[in-house]
Amino acid sequence: MNSPANNRSEQMEIDASARWPVLVFFGSALLWLLLGGVMQLAAAMQLHQPGLLAADEWTTHGRLAPAAQNALVYGWGMNAAFAFGLWLMARLSATTLRHGGWLFVAAKFWNLGVTLGVLGILGGYSTSFELLEMPRFVSLILLAAYALIGVWAVTTFSIRNTENVYASQWYLFGAAFWFPWLYAIAQVMLFKAPVRGVLQPVVNAWYAHGLYNLWFVPVALTAAYYFLPKILGKPVANYYLAPLAFWWLAITSAFAGGSRLIGAPVPVWIPTLGIAANMLVVVAVVIIGLNLFGTLAGRQAEARNSLTLRFIIISLVSFVLAAVMNLALSMRGFAATVQFTVFDGLRDWLTFYACFSTAMFGAAYFMLPRLTGREWRSPALIKAHFGATALGVGLMIAGLTYAGWIQGKLLNDAAVPFAEITKAMAPWFAYRTVVLGLLLLGHVAFLINFLGMACPFNFAKVPDALFRAPPDLSPEAHAPVGHSLKGVGP
Amino acid sequence: MKNGLALFLGVFATLALSWAGLLLTAHRQIGGLSQFKDPADDTLHPQPLSGLADQGRLVYQDLGCVTCHTQQVRHEGFGSDLARKWGERGSYARDYIRDQTVLLGQNRLGPDLRNVGARLGDARPEEYAEWFYKLLYAPQSVAAGTNMPAHAFLFDVHPVAGRQPSAHALALPSKFAPGSGLEVVPTARAVALVAYLQSLKDTYDYPIERSRNTPAPKKAGH
Ligand code: HEC
Repeated sequence: MNSPANNRSEQMEIDASARWPVLVFFGSALLWLLLGGVMQLAAAMQLHQPGLLAADEWTTHGRLAPAAQNALVYGWGMNAAFAFGLWLMARLSATTLRHGGWLFVAAKFWNLGVTLGVLGILGGYSTSFELLEMPRFVSLILLAAYALIGVWAVTTFSIRNTENVYASQWYLFGAAFWFPWLYAIAQVMLFKAPVRGVLQPVVNAWYAHGLYNLWFVPVALTAAYYFLPKILGKPVANYYLAPLAFWWLAITSAFAGGSRLIGAPVPVWIPTLGIAANMLVVVAVVIIGLNLFGTLAGRQAEARNSLTLRFIIISLVSFVLAAVMNLALSMRGFAATVQFTVFDGLRDWLTFYACFSTAMFGAAYFMLPRLTGREWRSPALIKAHFGATALGVGLMIAGLTYAGWIQGKLLNDAAVPFAEITKAMAPWFAYRTVVLGLLLLGHVAFLINFLGMACPFNFAKVPDALFRAPPDLSPEAHAPVGHSLKGVGP
Repeated sequence: MKNGLALFLGVFATLALSWAGLLLTAHRQIGGLSQFKDPADDTLHPQPLSGLADQGRLVYQDLGCVTCHTQQVRHEGFGSDLARKWGERGSYARDYIRDQTVLLGQNRLGPDLRNVGARLGDARPEEYAEWFYKLLYAPQSVAAGTNMPAHAFLFDVHPVAGRQPSAHALALPSKFAPGSGLEVVPTARAVALVAYLQSLKDTYDYPIERSRNTPAPKKAGH
């Protein structure tokens, strides 16, 4: 093992090599976060202001809503995951990021693909399959761009200068392979050589569940497994259980997609298998909880001082809640009521936004200053972003759980005419708009802060903006760098 | 774990297993479902969509109606779809083999549409089509208080002056009409979409599925 000093300078070298590719991916991600957020907000408003943007075909609700979701998932989500994943893969493999030029090409193509895809949906070429709405030809662009990124990540991994492979790397590595397989198989089975009848929704459910749980969740867990021990400077608790959790989560999640089809006209064993898988997922969630909350135990005060860990904690709690929700939606009696309501949508929002996106925020607050060598400029903007996120996530979960229950009760009462349901839900649609607006404000604050830091012409030395001034937040201050802690990583 | 290859193989196996276990198995089981020939009158069910209705299916897809509407009737004992008269029976897998794209849907911001073509009551099909046109042009004119957006862009609005009024012009209440001297005529896309909506009805009950589903209604909610 290198001496600490050596190790530190090596890490800075790695960070410097990753700087531009990561900034390009993350910058694109943030633009999509904003653009997708605005579209999502408008689509949410249309539910209580049906006249809004209804005159034009391009912005009718049936197009705007999926376009927003695609912009967020493929624009923000994937780009952010690429940025974070590339940086961490280089760091954990203790090798500098080489041939970064290819990554720029990949970033260009990926974003070109997403742009064409979103425009395609708005322009009337939507396939209407959930998360696969983009016109067919776009999938080829996306897969090609992804291939460049994926090959790069795997190469970096295979030339790693480390002995051990850390938990974070398993999740990252798994996700890196699962996404393209899921995506390519879904494309082939739905569009290239389409399967017949209700097999289509089965493929779609398998893909949607896979995208959320075998791509976004693993990336979020990557962040949690990395930052918790790193910043707290202690090994992951019960680390020996981590491999079990990884494999268990992977296998059960891969089979859980059928649970989205409870009550649907498909062979009964499909949802039943999904339900069983959702129950088994709990084992993995418990172990991951033991690992990560165990690491946190006794160090809450320290964790609170780290902005990154604050976001990671929101992400972890949401991860657990999402599993609970998947489980709840697997209970037939409960599902009969809340299926197809806003509660159903909340499940995926919880995974994608509250678990994955918050983890990426946390990662960004750690990673970007190290990449640029500059500090975040405005503590007020940081506070605004964190406050909006924490409040927004809480309000969304509480509000839509209740609203979904009400909506389900009304839907299942045949005596209630449909117009009544719409009327009863109107305040809740407005509520969701307000919460989405709040979250969007947080994103704006984040973007401004990011631009202030990343802008290449901004050389002015400013005092470091720390979330809480007194304690030293930099992880190096805590982490005994260079000591090979199990589960800490280099 | 240290071994990259073992990790890779495991990761591969996980997904391959779920693909084979879920998608391939399901495909083997129901991928070959065929039409059913009614022994009484030798008719085949489900009947294929007409060409016009199939074009309407594309309009339904491109406008994203699935964002708010499902197309699946849940069985007795699981939700109250039947009590809401969204169908005479729960949907079967066989009902869908006539559809090029199957959009079961995830959201019920609006009613289920799987049998909307059978909901005309005493109305004649043309009257029912007119009702659909009105719903698409100005939803409030037939469903007060709804948040379904108007799809007015599926219609041509032009002045009547100086020419024969169109036989297809909508008879809208004045509150929703574009103004005097103007008429609203469905475009080809609206005509196709409405043909599709009217084709949505699973009225035939298959003996095999029925016998499989009736005896144990509690369990039938698959
Ligand atoms: C914003 C969500 C939304 C979108 C998008 C939407 N609808 Fe609707 N739709 C509704 C609501 C809500 C109702 C219930 C109206 C009522 O009775 O109060 C409805 C009712 C209907 C009905 C009447 C069903 C019945 O049994 O009374 C039909 C048919 C229909 N919609 C077709 C469509 C088509 C076709 C599209 C796509 C072009 C579409 N809808 C898009 C929300 C939506």
